[in-house]
This record gives sequence, structure tokens and C-alpha cells, in this order.
Amino acid sequence: MITVVMAVITYFVRHRVLTHVMVLTYLAGLGFIAFNLYEHLGEPLGEYFYCDRLGFIFLIILIIVSVLSGIHYITFVEYRNVPREAMALHNAGTIFFTGAITGVLFAQHFGVLWTAMEATTLGASILIYHNRNQHSLEATWKYVFIASIGIAIAFAGILFLGLAAHKIGHVDFTFAAIKSEASRLNPVWLKATFLLVLTGFSVKMSLVPLFTVDIDAKDASPSLVGATLSSVLMNAGFIAMIRFYDAFSLTSILPWMNNVLLITGMLSLVLSASYLLKVRNIKRLFAYSSMEHASLVTIAFSCGGIGYLAAILHLIMHSFAKASLFLQVSQMHRIYNSKWDESIGSYLRINPLGGLVLLLGFLSIIAMPPSGMLITELMMFQALVAKSYWWLAAVILVLVLVIIYGLAVRLLGILFIKKPGAQINMKGATPWESVLQLVLIVMVFYIGLFRPEFIVNNIQKALEVLPL
Amino acid sequence: MINFVIISFIITLIYIAKIEMVKSYYPLMAAQGVLLFILSFLELQETSALQLILILFETLIFKAIFVPLFLQAITKGRAHRHQHSPVKGYYSLLLALALIVVSFVISHQMHEEFLDVKYFTAATSSIFIGLFIAINNRDLVTHLIAYLVIENGIFLLSIALGGEMPMFVNSAILLDIFTSVLIMGLIFNRLKDHFETTDATHLSQLKD
Repeated sequence: MITVVMAVITYFVRHRVLTHVMVLTYLAGLGFIAFNLYEHLGEPLGEYFYCDRLGFIFLIILIIVSVLSGIHYITFVEYRNVPREAMALHNAGTIFFTGAITGVLFAQHFGVLWTAMEATTLGASILIYHNRNQHSLEATWKYVFIASIGIAIAFAGILFLGLAAHKIGHVDFTFAAIKSEASRLNPVWLKATFLLVLTGFSVKMSLVPLFTVDIDAKDASPSLVGATLSSVLMNAGFIAMIRFYDAFSLTSILPWMNNVLLITGMLSLVLSASYLLKVRNIKRLFAYSSMEHASLVTIAFSCGGIGYLAAILHLIMHSFAKASLFLQVSQMHRIYNSKWDESIGSYLRINPLGGLVLLLGFLSIIAMPPSGMLITELMMFQALVAKSYWWLAAVILVLVLVIIYGLAVRLLGILFIKKPGAQINMKGATPWESVLQLVLIVMVFYIGLFRPEFIVNNIQKALEVLPL
Repeated sequence: MINFVIISFIITLIYIAKIEMVKSYYPLMAAQGVLLFILSFLELQETSALQLILILFETLIFKAIFVPLFLQAITKGRAHRHQHSPVKGYYSLLLALALIVVSFVISHQMHEEFLDVKYFTAATSSIFIGLFIAINNRDLVTHLIAYLVIENGIFLLSIALGGEMPMFVNSAILLDIFTSVLIMGLIFNRLKDHFETTDATHLSQLKD
């Protein structure tokens, strides 16, 4: 309720400074709530919410990424001379979207989870619409249409779960109640539920089958929106999927769910590899890279055991790395006024700090040392080998090498090669704006290499309920 | 009575699948709203007064009155004939019938004690025909109508389950459909201005 009121006020407060203050105040409030929630980890928050450990970790990521996007938006507005109405709508949308994601992270009722997830679609559509040109209109239309159908399909899945629960006289849709009764429910309905939910939420997770509108959305929206969609929205999609997986994990359909996840992950990985080889638009390049990482997370999760920890750690680090890269693209666009790789070159020479962020971000997403993602990808291969999926591990390794090649060709060219078609505006090169992105990349290295006790312990405690 | 209403709903679906003029959708969408209200009124008599008021609002006010009027308003002054639909006329009629038969066979094969075959047939038919309309037509308005037909199918499914969702989830669903239709309607208008057409084939500027 507070979120909706804040969003409405922000929409009507069109003062150039106050509107940003509203967003940052909302995020500070969310930070204060998070600080207080730390004492209540594992406790219920009213009838429909629960202070979940995973939700708490992803809330911290949500706040960090949203604050950085909010700060970058202040510069973005000044540089692009964004009209007041568009700015107010964007800031109101940011508040609504952040509130909806928080709802997804802490929901403990399937109906409430679905409601919050649908709210993220509406919030995201406002953010995607920002530029109000033909591209953003096309992307917004496709996103709202496909994501709404996806969400409707997911709701049908939840109704099937209700049908299964109805049969045993059980009508409580909370996660705990469904999990405790799941083994008594008809597995056919549980399978139908999981399949429909996975299909419906694939828009958010950037996975097969509905990933295309997510890619278009990241391309047509401002890069700072791409940063949010690639990190916090993707995390919310995975959290939603994990809730269903967890609820059904003690039933006979567990191996079937793992197979579905493995197939989804593999198909997504193959498609992302093939697209990454041909794409020349840097925003789409990073969008397909997000799809690749979503695939790896799905594959790791399908293996169980150490794969669960690898998947969650990978999601955390990917959020920071991808948010950092998308925010850097926003700055690059100011220098080159282009998002096509043939018009962007010698970036390391033109903007050394920004170039360093791009280089380290590139190393992070291809899991090269000292990137922490190397550790999680190794854990994923360990999980695959533990399941005796040798041949699959080999195929994944080949696909990952193809992806590294695709990314290296484009990004190293942007960093080091002078492009004749590049039109450079040196006013856009403001090195201090890259400092925050650099901090995010350093966090990726730190989390992967040192695996902070707070993060790992909470992930392990949250995941200990899942079967090995 | 319930059988009559469900059969009427399925007949509206067959007509919707065959329609070639955009304006012909509006009375059928209104009819579906009224039929859904009658069905929910007959099925959900044990629910609270507040829940019934919400359903009344969702079906009669929103689906039967607001949506047709809103669609009429945003498509005013346009050529109403579909273009380039791969499956047309009686072929789309046959396909719709085939989808209904498939839905019936699936429902019948479920052998679920708590599953009402007629509700499930109508609901899955609505979802399948909604998806068919979305794929078969390239006009953006028909995409919006396809979404609403799918939502009507989901609504039927939820009636079949006896409205077990908490009150605020039901309110959220209503709010969601309302805002989705509103957002799509607004974007539709902008697209119409920018592209000077409502043919979805023109929405292909975002490429790799």
C-alpha cells in the first residue's frame, strides 16, 4: 500500500529534484526495513509473507542495484533532457516495480506470489516504455502482451495445484501447507503446475520459451532499466520458480522437475550461444549473455546437491556483474551515440576507468580469474559430474567456449580497436560515473573468491530443506 | 441452466474464432462477460457478499460493459477488416471446433472426481482458441482480444475450483486485467499514431 501511495505521489511530483528524492527515500526506507528484518530471519511476516533467508539476500541486491540505477538516472535525465512527465512516470514505475519485486521475494502464498509477479510485469512495462519512440513502443507492447499471457498461463498452473489440493480437502495455498501435503497430491497435476509456472515465468528468467520479449525489452529501454531487468527481475523469476520446486521437492516428481529444468537450461544455452555469435548490438549482446547465465543457473539447479549453492551464488554475482555492465553501456552510449559495435571502439583509451569496468565485467561474465563466477561454474560442473552427466558437461563446456568467443570478438574490439565509423563525444566521458560500477565488479570478485560467511550460511540454511 | 450457459459460452468462442471484422468482436466479448457472470452467480452462491460484488464488477461491469466500449473507442475510425490471416473463414471455424473436441477429449480423459468435465472443456477451449486468435491474426486489437479470451478461460477454471483464492488475490486479478487492458489500449493508440497501421508485422524493428 505504501509502495502504491509513494508511486502515485512520485508521479504527480514533477519537480526535477524532488522526484529523484522520492525514489531514493523509498529505497532508503526499504533499506531500513531490511536492516530490521535481519533480526527476524525465518519468521512469518503476517498471513501471506515470510522473512525468507533467500528473499533477504535478494532484497539486499535489489536495494543496491536500484540505488545505483536511481543515481544513474539523475545523470541520464540531465544528459538526455528527459521531459518531466516521462521522468515522473519512470520514477513512479521504479517504486512500483521495486515494491512488487519485494513482494515476490517474501511471499509465502502461491496466490500472493503470482499477484506480486504480475505487478512486476506492469512495473517493468512502465520502465521499458521510457524512451517513447518506435522501438520502446514495440518492445513494451510485446512485453505486456507476452508476459501477461505468460502470467495467465502460470495462474492456470496455480489453479491446477488448487484442483489437486481440493481432492484431499486441503485448500491452503501457503508454501508450507502445500509442501507438507504435496506427497498426497496427484503427481499429474503437480507436473502440470510446474510446467505451466516455468513457462509463464520464463519471461522473467530470460529462458526458453518466452525469452524473446525480455531481450527486446532490454534493447529498447534505457540501459539502466536493462540493468534492473537483467538482475533483480531475473532473480525474482528464479525465486518464484524455486518456491514451486521446493514445495514439490518431497514428491515423486522431483527427478521429472530436474529433467525439465535441465532441458530448459540446455535449450536456452544453445539458443543464447547461437545468438551471441551473430549479434552486433551491445545491449542485445549483454541480454543474451544474461540468458546464458540464466541457463547455467537452471542447469546447476537441476543437478541438486552442490548445484543448488552454485546456482544461487551464481545468480548473486551475475546480478552485480550484469548491472555494472548495463550501467556502463549507458555511459558508453553518451560518448558514441550508438549501441552497434561497428561504431564503438578504443573505449579503454577514450575512457580508461569505464574501459576498465568493461574489461573486468567482461572477465566476470566469461568466468575468467579473478571472477567469482569461475568458482560457481566449476561447482556446476562438479554437480554435473556427480550426476554422471559427463557428455552433458562436455557439451556445456563447448557451448560456453563458443559464447566466450562471441563475447570476446565484440567486447575486445570495442575496448582496443579503433573503429572508423565511430563519432566520439568526449563530453560524455565522465570517469567518476564508472566508480560505482567498479565497486559492483569488485563485489563479484570478492563474493566468488572469499565466499562471505553471511551469504553462504544463509543460502545453505535456506536450501537445506531441499533434497540432495 | 448451467449446461445451457456453458454451451452458449462455447458457441461464442466458435464465433470469435471465425470473425473477420474487428467490430464484430465487441458484442461477443460483452456476451461472454454476461455468461461468466451468470455462471459464477449460479456456482458461487456460498461465497461472501463482498466476493460476489467483486465478481459482479469483474464480469458484468468490466468484461461485459467496459472492455467492449473501451475497444470500440480505441479502434474508432479504422478499417475493420483483418489482413493476411493464414487461416480464414470456415477453415478457422473447423479449427475452432477441432480445438473444442480436443479440449473435451482431454477433459474426459482426466478421470478426476473433482473435475467438472464441462467447465474444464469450456475453460481449455477458451485458452486454446485465445492462443489460436493471437497466432492467426496480425491485427494488434485481435491480440488484445485473444488475451481477454484466454483470461476468460482462466476465470472459468477458477470458478470450477470454487473461488478458493483469498479475497485480495481475486481483487489483484481484477486489477491486473484492468491495468493490462488499459496499458495495452494506451500503447495501441501510440502504435497506431507512430506506425500508421495496426498490423503486427510492422512491429519487427527490434532485431539482432
